[in-house]
Amino acid sequence: MAEILIQVIIAFLAGSLLLGLHRKVMARVQKRPGPPIVQHLIHSLKFFFKETAIPKTVSKVFYIGIVFILALVWIVGVIVGPVAHDSLLILFGVYAVYKIVEHNSGSSSGSPYGKLSCVRAVLSAATELPLFAAIVFVYLVTGTMNIGQIITYQSVHGPLVFSIPLAALMFFMLIITKSPYSPFAITKDKALISGFETEHFGFLRGFMLFSESIAWYVMLWVFLTIFFGPLNAVGYLIGMIAITFVTGFINATTPILSPNHSVMTQITIGAICFFGTILMIFTGVVA
Amino acid sequence: MLDYMIYILAFAVGSILGLLYSYKKHGEPYVAVSDFNIPSAAVSIIGWCLAFNAGNVVLAAVGFLLGGLIMGERPGYGRKETALGLIVAVVLYLLLKLTV
Repeated sequence: MAEILIQVIIAFLAGSLLLGLHRKVMARVQKRPGPPIVQHLIHSLKFFFKETAIPKTVSKVFYIGIVFILALVWIVGVIVGPVAHDSLLILFGVYAVYKIVEHNSGSSSGSPYGKLSCVRAVLSAATELPLFAAIVFVYLVTGTMNIGQIITYQSVHGPLVFSIPLAALMFFMLIITKSPYSPFAITKDKALISGFETEHFGFLRGFMLFSESIAWYVMLWVFLTIFFGPLNAVGYLIGMIAITFVTGFINATTPILSPNHSVMTQITIGAICFFGTILMIFTGVVA
Repeated sequence: MLDYMIYILAFAVGSILGLLYSYKKHGEPYVAVSDFNIPSAAVSIIGWCLAFNAGNVVLAAVGFLLGGLIMGERPGYGRKETALGLIVAVVLYLLLKLTV
């Protein structure tokens, strides 16, 4: 229990600081000073002390319950990943439930912005196909879904990123999709104000930001763990900072795509990587 | 993992304190003083050197707190000092690792 608490606190703090760094990188690329790195953390904490207003149009039980489910989903992600080193399939389930939460958070708000974001959350499920394909390839190569055993496999055979780089690229696309101001972030398009989060105020938004920070940490952790072999704390730190830099640079220089372009781009990249990896497996490039 | 939690907590607290301190010191809507600040540099060097080389949880946590204090200052302040502190700490870490 103590281990879970410690890991959740680490995930929240590290995720918040990394998202703060992400904003800083984007700002520097765009020649702005940008906010301090710790700003995202302060921003998250601030919401817990703000007044919580509940609009009249909401479906109340759902509207309030969904933020706790969101937080719970990513806490489960921390337990399955960094704490227990359990199955990748459960993490895939966590991500699938996250998409459902995104969808329902928008629909329960009663706001047109939230509802449109909810519709787009269904479209953006296109990212789950490459994620699932990436997990399947990891299973085909290593013969296991268990993260602990995948780490052991990599300590013997070397990091998976060298044997199935296109699968790693598919997973990386998911990370880009989930990063703030991403070209694929159609659910949080600024035309929709804050998308599915628009009508959540006060501590409810605080829980959402808390979950987002944990989500960012968990996804980076999973990516580094299943593709870059056994890493120590310094390795994780450098890897997470590097990925945050890369996504920050990509997002700062890329405009948000329209929903259909976003889905088609994701599907196209996913398909190329999928067939590319199959080709690599059948031609014997992947041992 | 408890030690990593303490480090990251110390760094976050240090950053918040640094931000509050620098806003109190420099309230201007622009960067008024861009000169290299020697006391800040000293704090940064001590902080990062302790954080990377102390080998003790409490001292390393104090190091992260001091490092965060300068790194967390408002945008435009504490950048060069942080860079210097990190460079010195990394060089010291490599020297200690290569010689021992």
